[in-house]
This record gives sequence, C-alpha cells and structure tokens, in this order.
Amino acid sequence: MARWGMVIDQSKCVGCWTCAVGCKAINDEPLGYWWNRVLTTEPDSSAQVAAPATPAVDVPHGTYPNLELAYLPLACQHCNDAPCEKVCPVGATFRRDDGLILIDYERCIGCRYCVAACPYGVRIFNWGPAKREPDFVIGYGEEYRTGGRLVFEPVRPVGIVEKCTLCVERVDANEQPFCVDVCPVGARVFGDLDDPKSEVSVLVNDEGAEQLLAELGTNPNVYYLPSSHPSKVSD
Amino acid sequence: MVNSSVRTDLPRAPGLARSPWTWLLGVLVLLGLVAWVYELGHGLAATGMRDVVSWGMYIFTFAYLVGLSAGGLIVASSSEVFHIEALRPLARLGVLTAAVFSAAAGLMIIPDLGQPIRVLNLFIFPNWTSPLVWDVTIITIYFLFSVLELWVMVRRPEKKKTLTTLAFIGLPLAVLLHSITAIIFGLQMSRPWWNTALMAPIFVASAILSGTALIVLIAWILQRYNNLRIPAATWRWLAGLMVMALFVDLFFVASDYVTIAWDNIPKDRQVLDLILPGGPYQLTFWFEWVLGGVIPFVILASSKLRAKASNLALAAALILMGVYAFRIELVIPAFVNPLIQLPPGTSLGAVSTSGSFQLVGHYSPTWVEYLITVGLFALTALAIAIGYRRLHLGRTIQEAAEHVAD
Repeated sequence: MARWGMVIDQSKCVGCWTCAVGCKAINDEPLGYWWNRVLTTEPDSSAQVAAPATPAVDVPHGTYPNLELAYLPLACQHCNDAPCEKVCPVGATFRRDDGLILIDYERCIGCRYCVAACPYGVRIFNWGPAKREPDFVIGYGEEYRTGGRLVFEPVRPVGIVEKCTLCVERVDANEQPFCVDVCPVGARVFGDLDDPKSEVSVLVNDEGAEQLLAELGTNPNVYYLPSSHPSKVSD
Repeated sequence: MVNSSVRTDLPRAPGLARSPWTWLLGVLVLLGLVAWVYELGHGLAATGMRDVVSWGMYIFTFAYLVGLSAGGLIVASSSEVFHIEALRPLARLGVLTAAVFSAAAGLMIIPDLGQPIRVLNLFIFPNWTSPLVWDVTIITIYFLFSVLELWVMVRRPEKKKTLTTLAFIGLPLAVLLHSITAIIFGLQMSRPWWNTALMAPIFVASAILSGTALIVLIAWILQRYNNLRIPAATWRWLAGLMVMALFVDLFFVASDYVTIAWDNIPKDRQVLDLILPGGPYQLTFWFEWVLGGVIPFVILASSKLRAKASNLALAAALILMGVYAFRIELVIPAFVNPLIQLPPGTSLGAVSTSGSFQLVGHYSPTWVEYLITVGLFALTALAIAIGYRRLHLGRTIQEAAEHVAD
C-alpha cells in the first residue's frame, strides 16, 4: 500500500496561481471558491504568523533594498493524524489507507466542526448553490466513489464541506494530481512516501522538506522545501 | 408555620390564550419559522457566516442555551443534595427550565446544519472521537433525565427516595453537560483562544451563573405579575448562589486573560486584543465585565441592595446579558485571525466588489439569523409558560414556600 504525498518546492514557485486555477478547473469550483491558494509570505518564516506583514498578494516583505518574497501554495495537507477526521461527528471525513483524507458527500451534515478544527484553514463549505460563468460543468465531470463512498460530484453540492481530494479520481487511475501536472515550473512533486526510493521520499529524507505547522503533530503528507533551499539546476 | 391549605385563588391569572404576550410570542415563533424556510431555500449563504468566521449566532446561542439549562437542575438538586430547604419551592420550576432549555439547545443546532435533513446521522453513524457526538449524547440524556425527574416530581411526589436519588444524579449530570459542551471548543489546537484547560471550569461556572439568574428572573416575574410569594430566604440563597458563581466565573476568565497577556504568544494575544477595550469586539468586554459583572456584583454584595427582589431581578437580567456577551466573545473572535493568515486570505464562497478573499474575518448576523434565534427564544418562553400552567407549578411553589421560614 502506497502512502501518497506531495512535496512543494517554495524555491521554485513563482506565485503564478496556475495550480490554484487548475484546481478550480478540474474540480469545477464555483465563483468565489478556491480549494487551492497561493499565499504571499516571507522566506523561511513559519506559516503561523502573528499578523500578515503585508495585506496584499505579491507585495514583498521588508524595507528597500532588503526586500524578500516567497510563496506558500496551500491546500489540504492530508494529515496522518487529521483534526478534521477526529472531530467529524458522523465519520463523513475519513482517511483512506493510502493517506488521502476524503469526505463522504452523502454523509456530511454540514456542521462545519471540521472547518473550525483544521489548523490550515483549507476546508471549504458550500454556502449556497454553485454560481458559475459560463454555467456548465467543467473538469472531471463525473461522480467518483471509493469503497462505495461518494467523494466527488460534478456540481458542487450545497450544504456540505469540501476540499482538495488530492485528485483521488486521477490518483486511482495512476495519474498525478492536476496541480502537479499544470505547474509550469515543476515546483510540485507527487509520489509514494512509503517507497524510500521515490522522489518525494528523497526530498523529505535527504533534502530537508518540512511539514507545515509540524509542531501541532498533525503529521501531514504534504511537505514543503523552504525557499532558501537551493534549486537544483539539472544539466 | 403557616397553615398549608392550598390557596387556589393565587396562581389564577388570565388564561394563556387570552394573554397578549402569548400572541406576541406566537408571532415571533412564526417569523422564526418563516426565516428558517427562507434559509432552507437559499442555503447558509442566507447567514452572515462564511469560510473565515464559519460559526456564528447559532453556535454561541446554542452554548448559551446549554448554560441556561444547567441552573435549573443545579438549583433543584442542591435543595435535595445539600438540604437547602429555601430552594425547595423552586425545584420543579428548575427542572422544567432544564428540560425546556436543553431541548432548545438541541433545536438551535438544526438551522446551523448545511444538511438538516441528515441530522439523524449523528445517531446512526456516531464517530466517538468527536466531542460533538459526546455532546449530542449528554444533551439527549440530560433532556430525558429532566423530563423523568419532572414527571416523578409532579406525578409521584410521594416517592421521596427516588427524588433524592434523581437529585444526586442530576448534579453531576449538569456538570458533565457543561464540561462536554466546553470541550467542543477547548480541545481545538487550531483555535488558541479556545485551547485552554480552563474551558470546562469556565463553562460550568457560567452555566451555574446564568442558569441561576434565569430562575431569579422567572421567579421575580411570577412574584410581580402572578401574585406568587417567594420567601425572603429563597431570594437570599439565590442571591448568594449568583454572587459566588459570578465571582468564580470572572475569576476563571481573568486567569485566562492574564496568562495570555503575560505569555504574549502572538496568535493568543491577537485574540485578546480584539476584545479588550479599544478592540473591535470591546462591546462584549464591557457587557461581560461591567454591565454583567461589576454592576450586578455590587448589587448582590450590598446587603441593602440585595434585600429587594426587584434589584435581584435587575442583577439577574444584567448577568444574563453578560453571559451572552461571553458566549459571543468565545466563538467569534476565535475565528477572526486564522493560524495561517497570509494574503490574500481564505476564499469566502462569494464574489463581491471587495473580492472573493478575506484576510481578517468579519461577521455580522443577517436578519435570517436574528429571526430564527429570537423565534427559538420565544418558543422556549412559551414552553416554560405552558409547562408552568399545565403542571400547576404556581400552586406547588406556593405550598412549598409556606414551609420555608423567612
């Protein structure tokens, strides 16, 4: 059994939001909904900040000429010890054996306890009927079930919580999550963390990829290479 | 000792159906229902909640209602467990409020659900690692227990042993109810404002405080408008209970403030700054500490002021507002500044001229939330009034009061 994980290289990320827009496209996220976002941050800072140093996207931190800029692409961290899974009163949020945290669309009661419990703020509640322009289904476009449980629908259902599924329907078909495929600079690497020879394992074990808010003990399967990490230029 | 013959003329006020209050409450309940139907049609987009502040009025009112349900059972059980004769007249009234308010708390959750039709999933697929499941369980038990105790009190009052046993179960049950409701919040490391071991003690103290205040207010209304005579000794005990609970409650809250202020851990401090004077949520601070804190404390501590029942009722009303402010202060500011707070923020699930992201959370309830919440309070008041009539509580309060020495 694999344990799927992702490493995001912040030293490569250019903050173009292609992963976020790709995520919207493949999952048909309506206007105003983003399961995946690219946050503006400082290099080597903790993700947990007292107050944002700048209120705006793409604005560097610091005083001229000492300006610094880095990006933090953020979606579900697929924690091995996930607070959302623990607090879900009806077991709608569940962890698959391969590490994916998924939501059973037919069981969720929409209490949003998971939204309150997630330290990463990546859970998205569908407040009202999906608004799209133009108004037709895009992306994967089918229902998807795993172990009999409905974990994706073509149109975003009202009144339940959703989030990044790590593109479960693509992963099960031996493809990569869509954000990995569309990243123009190859900042995202997807693979099996249980396989010590996989690229993600090497990045985690030898290159110092780190978990976000690791001190909280949620043990995510998504890792980050800090922006100070020297980008390897091949050839 | 006064002759304990029943004075049937006493609790006979105009019938409920002819009272304009009944009609007003009925209209409010109806408006609440209309608002709920509207919400069912539009989804929770009809509320002021969004993905940054994702819990709002329904949840802090829920926590408030749970607290109000405690006082009744605590007053009722205390009279039995600690042999406080002066509280015995209010025992049945106390258990009635416990039953009604725990049911109201359960109902308050329904409009907060995105899929209210699936509410039974809580019983069909319970996930026992979730504090919410424990809370649903304990509220259900608490409600059934209150109904049972009320039934025994009214229909089998001769079963003294059973009543004593029930009182001994009721007291720890009330404490458990508040501890578990507190734990829904207190166990979440994602919200530093909630994540304190003091949460359960604060909830128990504030429940005893607001629950007792509620009993005082109801008792005063009955004395003022329904010719019921509550003995001075009963007022004294209620005043004592309130002042003790007020002190302990504010002491716990202050301990929390001091820890956060001294440690100065950024994400904790950020929340405290929201509610302290000068912050955007300072209104909750003034209500909790001054209007619902210092002022009622002075009234209750002064032997001259607390001698008048109307002053006690005023203190109780202020306390009830203060505890409601505390519930607001607990829930909303915890969401305003998420742990990861980097531009552009969290997507709101809505597009507006100000964009679709929010870096600092904002929340103000919509008319839908106000109407539903007010409607539920109206329903609760109606249920108390009907229960009071149907169970002839006025008569039994008066009978028991005759046995209390002033």
